[in-house]
Amino acid sequence: MTGGTGSIRREIFLPHSPEHVWRALTDSERLAEWLMPNDFEPRIGHRFTFRTQPNPRAGFDGVVHCEVVECSPPSRLAYSWAAGPLDSRVSYRLEPEAEGTRLFLEHSGFDPAGPEDVWRGAEYGWTKMLGALEGVVGESAARA
Amino acid sequence: MTEHGAEVFHAISHPARRRMLDLLAGGELAVSSIAEGFAMSRPAVSQHLRVLLHAGLVTERRSGRERRYRLVPDRLVVVRDWIAHYERFWDDHLEQLRDHLSSEGAS
Repeated sequence: MTGGTGSIRREIFLPHSPEHVWRALTDSERLAEWLMPNDFEPRIGHRFTFRTQPNPRAGFDGVVHCEVVECSPPSRLAYSWAAGPLDSRVSYRLEPEAEGTRLFLEHSGFDPAGPEDVWRGAEYGWTKMLGALEGVVGESAARA
Repeated sequence: MTEHGAEVFHAISHPARRRMLDLLAGGELAVSSIAEGFAMSRPAVSQHLRVLLHAGLVTERRSGRERRYRLVPDRLVVVRDWIAHYERFWDDHLEQLRDHLSSEGAS
């Protein structure tokens, strides 16, 4: 399920050094092997694309438009990720752990940062919103 | 209004509007009730509600002097579908990363 603020977060332990993992994230050919074909380069401001199958029903033409916004080898990498109507950001953080690397991934933008001071009370996460949505959709389907 | 949800993503990009949608998930509300939850002016609240209306996320009706808003839950399905897609996407591709690193040999 998404995190409390509507990001997708994953972490994975990889039995390889941070430098080895970093290379897989930032070498264009290696990146294409586990993610998608691309023209990535590891420098801030570099604009590149990933290419994959289009999904016309979702308004996606098969091209993900990206720009590198953070690049600190071998620990932090982030790029914007624009696909169809979605404008988002993918961030990677690499931490050495035991004989390998713990990789943290966050895909944010289902819930991008905004001015928080207009709120009173606690933050409402998407988990609650989507949980409520399930109930409401179910009810309206039943009434239909 | 497009099929593909660009207006929906714009609408939900503001935390105040997400909070308004969350309130409306509990049922129809008048503008005055919605405004109680926010430290902003009534015109600012109304402007946010217009964005939600334009995105098809809420409907509006007049009841006496009040405007009342109701959530259109089906419009949020596009967001839920994108999230569900990317959850699977990252699970699959992180496994491919693990396999790729293993097949490359020693670090």
